[in-house]
Amino acid sequence: MKTVIFQAISLMFILLACTPKASKKTNTITAYLEANVPHLDPIHSTSKYSSVINANIFEGLYHYHYLKRPITVQPKLADGLPQILNNGKTYIVKIKRNVHFHDDPAFPNNRGRELTAYDFIYSWKRLADPKLKALGWWVLDGLIEGLNDWRDKVRSGQANYETPVAGLTALDKYTLQIKLSRQSFQFLHYLSMPPTMVVAKEVVQKYGKEIINHPIGTGPYVLKKWQRNSEIILSKNPKYHKVLYPTIGEDQDKSKGLLKYAGQRLPLMNEVRVRIITEKQPLWLAFLKGDLDFGTIPKDNFEQVFQNNQLTKEFADKGLRIHSQKSPDVTIIAFNMEHPILGKNKSLRKALAAAIDKKTILEKFYNSRGIVAEGPIPPTIYGYDPEYKNPIQHDKTLAKQYLADAGYEGGKDLPVFNYEMANNSTWARQYGEVLKDQWAQLGVKIKLNVNTWPQFDKKIKTKKATIFDMAWMADYPDSQNFLQLFYSKNISPGPNNFNYINRKYDQIYEQAVVLPPGAERQALFKKLIDIINEDVPGVFIIHRLYRYPFHSWLENYKPYPIIYDYYQYLSVDEDKKAAHR
Amino acid sequence: MLFGVTLATFLIFNVVGGDPALQLAGKNASAEQIESLRLELGLNQSLPVQYLEFIKQVAFLDWGESWHTQQNINAMIVSGIGPSLSLTLPAFLISFFLSLLVALISTSIQSSHAAWDRGITIFCLALMSISFLVYIISFQYFLGFQWGWFPINGWDTSWTERWAFLVLPWIISSIVSLGPNVLIFRSVLTDELSNDYVRTAEAKGLNRFQLYTKHILKNAVIPIMTVVTMQIPFLVTGSLLLEAFFGIPGVGGLLIQSIQNSDFPVIKALTVLGSLLYLFFNLMADVLYTFFDPRVELK
Repeated sequence: MKTVIFQAISLMFILLACTPKASKKTNTITAYLEANVPHLDPIHSTSKYSSVINANIFEGLYHYHYLKRPITVQPKLADGLPQILNNGKTYIVKIKRNVHFHDDPAFPNNRGRELTAYDFIYSWKRLADPKLKALGWWVLDGLIEGLNDWRDKVRSGQANYETPVAGLTALDKYTLQIKLSRQSFQFLHYLSMPPTMVVAKEVVQKYGKEIINHPIGTGPYVLKKWQRNSEIILSKNPKYHKVLYPTIGEDQDKSKGLLKYAGQRLPLMNEVRVRIITEKQPLWLAFLKGDLDFGTIPKDNFEQVFQNNQLTKEFADKGLRIHSQKSPDVTIIAFNMEHPILGKNKSLRKALAAAIDKKTILEKFYNSRGIVAEGPIPPTIYGYDPEYKNPIQHDKTLAKQYLADAGYEGGKDLPVFNYEMANNSTWARQYGEVLKDQWAQLGVKIKLNVNTWPQFDKKIKTKKATIFDMAWMADYPDSQNFLQLFYSKNISPGPNNFNYINRKYDQIYEQAVVLPPGAERQALFKKLIDIINEDVPGVFIIHRLYRYPFHSWLENYKPYPIIYDYYQYLSVDEDKKAAHR
Repeated sequence: MLFGVTLATFLIFNVVGGDPALQLAGKNASAEQIESLRLELGLNQSLPVQYLEFIKQVAFLDWGESWHTQQNINAMIVSGIGPSLSLTLPAFLISFFLSLLVALISTSIQSSHAAWDRGITIFCLALMSISFLVYIISFQYFLGFQWGWFPINGWDTSWTERWAFLVLPWIISSIVSLGPNVLIFRSVLTDELSNDYVRTAEAKGLNRFQLYTKHILKNAVIPIMTVVTMQIPFLVTGSLLLEAFFGIPGVGGLLIQSIQNSDFPVIKALTVLGSLLYLFFNLMADVLYTFFDPRVELK
């Protein structure tokens, strides 16, 4: 038996000795994703995880400036901003010349061919193709003249990819004309989103259904390896067209070293290794150990890393850095306006809103990372007004008055309302308990219902939820993306989870969304926010502040939630990294 | 049994579960888009028709494509089995032989060193009383992060490289199953020790080694085999927690994802696969009984 034990111990030490060590200089960014990437096809790219990978392989006509805030659209495959005609309904876009798809056997001699305007027409037809069930179809749905008709005809077998779409014309090889069925000043944002990124017809035809495993774009990186649920390795596209590191940014960017590589050709590094780590603890430990160049701070470790809103000395000495970013999102306690009592009684909703102590929620549940929301529009989004104050502030006396006005003084005769939680986490349950307590002080009782995410989603979309917690993250940086949440044509199962219907709101909304950015549009948006804050279909709680930790060796790290193509800007100081290891 | 499993899976998914079309369509989808997706996924068909389709899939073991990843489901499962088995099979073997060894030691010293035997039992109970998650978190923290003996998380497709990522999960898995296995094996061996044939064999002058290898283990093999064969299906279906914490792309992770995404075709495939394996190894156990004990007959 002694021999067996000795052999087992020896084996263990041999195994330990053979643990692979990372080489010192790799010219590699080591990134992470917290969820698996289901497929790599831009038309299905709706989650942030697939968007990050897709946006580094594929490209669209436009994208967001890496350093400027509020974020602004700039050309990517387009040669300049579009010429906008016909009162905002026609866009003429010049395409950059000498842009090539990645080399692939799908092309003659394995050499990626040059990009043309026809590729965009083909790619957007793919997005509309009903057989492909594109998850990103909502981006162009109802927007381009004739595209919805084409989609319907394809479904009934009356059209195919050769059938022209009235709103999509290649005026020549490098000029694309897009006719919109309605004015949309959000269109450039849509053209910056992953679903509208360009693919090559030859690649789609060669790989068929397997296209999801063969992402061939024009972007800075090509897919080198994809071990599903484990790792994605991207390597530099040797034929990447000329894209330069930005030369301007925010005021403090220069002092932060974010302009060190100004004017240099992208991508800066040869390889990106993206590890899929779905659990918080291993992600945090791998980051601290230096296996990842940037990471995330788990809620339970936050106090360990931050004290008095400062990075603790221990972590600062370890070379950790933090990028703080106001997130373009809002958390909301939502009311179902179709509920026979809650939906019909504005004073009752006002009472519930006034009873919520948002500051306590911010401190207890967000470690004070964020700001109290006064309305639906978050900071960093066009249309956000930092001076704006919600007319209903936390005030227990006022809440009681509102409740009395509602005809339910002290909560008398009110039924118990169901409050739906999206999961069974301690966080969600404690959050529910705090709300329950704050409303109980008013005399309003709620029952906390635990759901799985699919159950929660189903209850909301089938209008069966009464009160629930939700958050909305910008899809694109425009107030309209938040104000559409209250537009009556978007009620459940659309994004108007409140099922809020207000004809006056709809009228102003329809007027506002066709206006170009400017004072008139802004004034209308302000009216919409006033209507919402008066009607209280939900209570806007917090705009979150994200803290992104990274190691001192990582250069140019300035993440923003909807800028996905950021790997190309990152660089690693290899000596610093080697010293850490 | 398989019929019961299919029916239960189908009912749970359709009655308690979410709406896959809502999950897939995303937060901005309109009612028309969701309805169109429902149509394309066949979710607008009546429940009996959908159930019959499920039965047809079971009959041909052809599950089609995942709604979420659009991959062929059989290919997804095959690609997950290798990593799962790399994790679970060595851990199972280590745990089995180590547990048997400890149980044999514990049983053999019952009369001569009763305190040690009790100590082993208490130790096993202590091992069992700690949550699996606590083992994972503490081992990952100390052995992986603080002392740097093992990689914290990761995977490699090559067989020569992947073991480095597997040693720590093997250790955790072995320790977790050591407690219950030792107690079961010890109990079975103790029962055997009280039989007359043991006393007879001892009276005949058989030494301890011969007594255990020729008689006790031979007779104890059937209950031990029953316990062991019931664990085998779970080797294929993987370890949900270990795979998630150590980044092993196995079948367990596939199951979690499919539930999170309401990916019903994958849920169906994995549930039926688990049941089939369970039935198969049950049958195997029955067949093996006749091999180890000629008194047992299959009828």
